[in-house]
Amino acid sequence: MIATLLFVAFVVMMLLGVPIGAALGLAGAACIALANPEAQWFGLLAVPQNFYAGLGKYPLLAIPMFVLVGSIFDRSGVAQRLVNFAIAIVGRGPGMLPMVAILVAMFLGGISGSGPANAAAVGAVMIAAMSRAGYPAAFSASVVGAAAATDILIPPSVAFIVYSVLVPGASVPALFAAGMVPGVLAGIALIVPTVWMARKHKMGAHESSLPRPPFWQSLREASWGLAAPILILGGMRAGWFTPTEAAVVAVFYGLFVGMVIHRTIRVRDLFVILRESGELSAVILLVVSLAGIFAFSLSTLGVIDPVTNAIVNSGLGEYGVLALLILMLITVGMFLDGVSIFLIFVPLLWPIVQHYQWDPVWFGVILTLKVALGQFTPPLAVNLMVSCRIAGVRMEDTVRWVGWMLFSMFLVMVAVIAWPDLATWLPRYLGY
Amino acid sequence: MSQHHDPEALNTPVFEADEPDESTRIPLQIEDWLTVIVMGLLALITFANVIARYFTDQSFAWTEEFSVFLMIVLALVAGSASVARNRQIRIEYFADSGSEKRQRALARFGALMVFVLFALIAVLSVRVVWDDFRFGETSPGIGIPQWWYTIWLPVFSTAIAGRALGLFIRRGRQP
Repeated sequence: MIATLLFVAFVVMMLLGVPIGAALGLAGAACIALANPEAQWFGLLAVPQNFYAGLGKYPLLAIPMFVLVGSIFDRSGVAQRLVNFAIAIVGRGPGMLPMVAILVAMFLGGISGSGPANAAAVGAVMIAAMSRAGYPAAFSASVVGAAAATDILIPPSVAFIVYSVLVPGASVPALFAAGMVPGVLAGIALIVPTVWMARKHKMGAHESSLPRPPFWQSLREASWGLAAPILILGGMRAGWFTPTEAAVVAVFYGLFVGMVIHRTIRVRDLFVILRESGELSAVILLVVSLAGIFAFSLSTLGVIDPVTNAIVNSGLGEYGVLALLILMLITVGMFLDGVSIFLIFVPLLWPIVQHYQWDPVWFGVILTLKVALGQFTPPLAVNLMVSCRIAGVRMEDTVRWVGWMLFSMFLVMVAVIAWPDLATWLPRYLGY
Repeated sequence: MSQHHDPEALNTPVFEADEPDESTRIPLQIEDWLTVIVMGLLALITFANVIARYFTDQSFAWTEEFSVFLMIVLALVAGSASVARNRQIRIEYFADSGSEKRQRALARFGALMVFVLFALIAVLSVRVVWDDFRFGETSPGIGIPQWWYTIWLPVFSTAIAGRALGLFIRRGRQP
């Protein structure tokens, strides 16, 4: 009864546009009060306690730091130089620029940890370049939005950090390693339909007439950017620093490159960078902490176990349940962002994961792949919002193009489900 | 024209300024400056920790506790600014469609709910602080009184509730 109220209140508030964090916190608080009519203050002291405890976790510190890294590399001038270098490698021709956009987004995925930041960095450089080469703006926006979705799979990734805080059995390094192969596969899966569509519709007619940048010069100019993922991922792998520390090292490296080498960041830009990334982090962190109240009320009400039992005994079988979960998450993912999906559904799904003894790291990769798909599935697609704003097109115009990319990346998710080794091999090999 | 030989293309900052803030009775610069200072401190402390460990082979255990505290401050202070700017994560699909009147009513409802929640947290957390103070709780890492940390929860929660109330009033006033 109370549990039903919890969900109804929560869903109604969310649909009415109440901030997700507030909906989680209020629904949680209401249920705690209803469940403890005799206790002192209706047991509501658990509300501030869980709010505070939900935030006070050291691993969460990696979130503001990786958001800051994204914001700095956005402005560091690295993306443009990587693009030139990529063009120097792959050359000019129909479909080459969209491919470059995807490759550069994947590479930046090895530096930044969030999709929208990646879409902003790549979009700012590539959308104008693609329009000069004759690609329609809606197509460019679709490519950039989809390509940026590989960011949360390719380490480092804010999504994996949140998942790791929620799931005790999955460490951040293991998740980071597990995302690598699926992330690269997702990128390749995007390149195939993109190049095919560009050729089929004869887009980018002017591209082959544009000059190809000289290889060595562009390599030299791109070298500062090329070294960044080596520093971040290599440093973590070598055990020099924790994920949080790797982010901070990347912050100062990015500032050095942006302020001293490329001179695209001025001292007064620092205020904007710190303010924007601080606010974006706070928005994420508040949902994390308020979800703590919701998760607490769920655990005290004891509703998860009966629901889990019902699902497990429904006769669908392991893969039937998994298919159902993915179908549900894809539907929800059209309206909810990735971090909120993790915070709401991981506590709910966790008993099911345990029942089937699914590998928590593998399950985290599946969920993140799903979230990555959601980042460029209209109508609520955070990456497309960014890339459409840069391209000056409406999101509706991208529907025609993103469909094939979504389908192609969906196949990668199916592959990771069918062959779990795609995700679990690398962390096992590295010994996490 | 190749972008490659065009220094302008290489060095143009990519981010345009956001839309200007709505005017608020209490300036948002308070939160913005605090956010910048806390973000800067967080980065510097963690970086100093890496450097110190590299050169001296020891890390400061206390920085971890203090960094976590700073992160909580960041979430609350920058969160307060994000409430005033209405940048919370929410489902915009239904709330931002339909008639002007409906959109405004839903925006006010959302702001009101944020106000209710944080007003509740502010009131309840006073009791948490009082308990920490009364029982002489000390922090696990550094061993300073716990209420030095928790006292900020009611303070900043009140600020967030105030920002939500401000948003509620502003959305009611608009034409």
